[in-house]
Amino acid sequence: MSRMSALNIPVIETERCILRAPEERDFEAAAAFGESERSKWVGGPYPRRAAWGVLLACIGHWALRGYGQWMIEDRATGEAAGRTGFLFNDGWHEPEIGWWLHDGFEGRGLAFEATQAALAYGAEHFGLDGPISYIRQGNTRSAALAERLGATPEREVEFFDAPCMIWRHPNRAEAAA
Amino acid sequence: MTEAATFTGNPLENPLTIPGPRPVTIPTLETRRLRLEPPKPEDYPNFKATFASYRSRFMGGPLNPYESWMLYAAEIGHWQIRGFGMWMIHLKETGETVGMAGGWAPAGWPEREIAWIIWPEKAGKGYALEATDAARRFFYQTQGWEGAVSYLDPYDLSSIKLAERLGCKKDKEAPTIGNDEAAVYRHPSPAALRNTQIEDGIALEIEHHIDPIFKHKGGAVD
Repeated sequence: MSRMSALNIPVIETERCILRAPEERDFEAAAAFGESERSKWVGGPYPRRAAWGVLLACIGHWALRGYGQWMIEDRATGEAAGRTGFLFNDGWHEPEIGWWLHDGFEGRGLAFEATQAALAYGAEHFGLDGPISYIRQGNTRSAALAERLGATPEREVEFFDAPCMIWRHPNRAEAAA
Repeated sequence: MTEAATFTGNPLENPLTIPGPRPVTIPTLETRRLRLEPPKPEDYPNFKATFASYRSRFMGGPLNPYESWMLYAAEIGHWQIRGFGMWMIHLKETGETVGMAGGWAPAGWPEREIAWIIWPEKAGKGYALEATDAARRFFYQTQGWEGAVSYLDPYDLSSIKLAERLGCKKDKEAPTIGNDEAAVYRHPSPAALRNTQIEDGIALEIEHHIDPIFKHKGGAVD
């Protein structure tokens, strides 16, 4: 952790990514993602004005819960590549690790790299060891990533009026013991 | 809600973001009866209750729990991005919350807004007037705002009455938001407010709420 922003949102650096607080300069990328089919597994598509709220709420989540999601910045270009981190919104069963990538950033392992770093950080600093991920039937790419991260399907729940699979990530403390 | 408007680049170059150094933490303001504080996790249930109610219809509600949560989190994120935002209004005497007031400027809005909402059961006691007056002073005196607007639904009569008591004038020329449905009420500039009847009137009305020797004439106020 090299620097902190006003809301104590930590910065995590990995080989190819910088995980940091969302900033206003990320808005165009976030809005484009929201308007595209790529957002269909995370409540989209949604219009630009909703994307603004989603960006601001990402910051506010840190103040409300003490943890949250980071913007994934592609180190090479400085562009906002997507988001990963912890979500515990009203209506969630427990804290979730959730991720998505903006158009053009898939297929390079960035989500894996960033989410692995987020999981390690959460276990060490937030007491979020072995969180869940909500992954709907049909979201095969997120399911593949969850599997690669070592998560396994745990149970099906009702989530936003539709069935959704809860995946469970491995508990690091237990694995190390 | 003007969908076409865009911005890119450095947030400090966005005209709605306050220039220069911004508050590291959300400041607390005090008035005669109120304390304006940062929105905190423990205040969320009150916010959620109001935004689940019909009361919130002029502020984008009613909302479901997820939408309420996202809006509440966004209220806090707004401070970080813009350098200003909405406060939670507490009564000094009891600490209980009665609503929210402050500044608001989503992506693509033409100007900075001064906004407010009072919990339904706390209306009619002049809390919104006292809070918005304090918020406006803060923005004018410490952040260099040269003015502001309030975007009001033409049917939101209690808010229109409040805007008028704050010295706002309807600005029919100004660009609006939300499919051109909102009326734009322009706040007096700092210079147009200083030592005027508007300022005195606000102070007098707040005084009357605290010590009601003279009863306010007219309908419900908040």
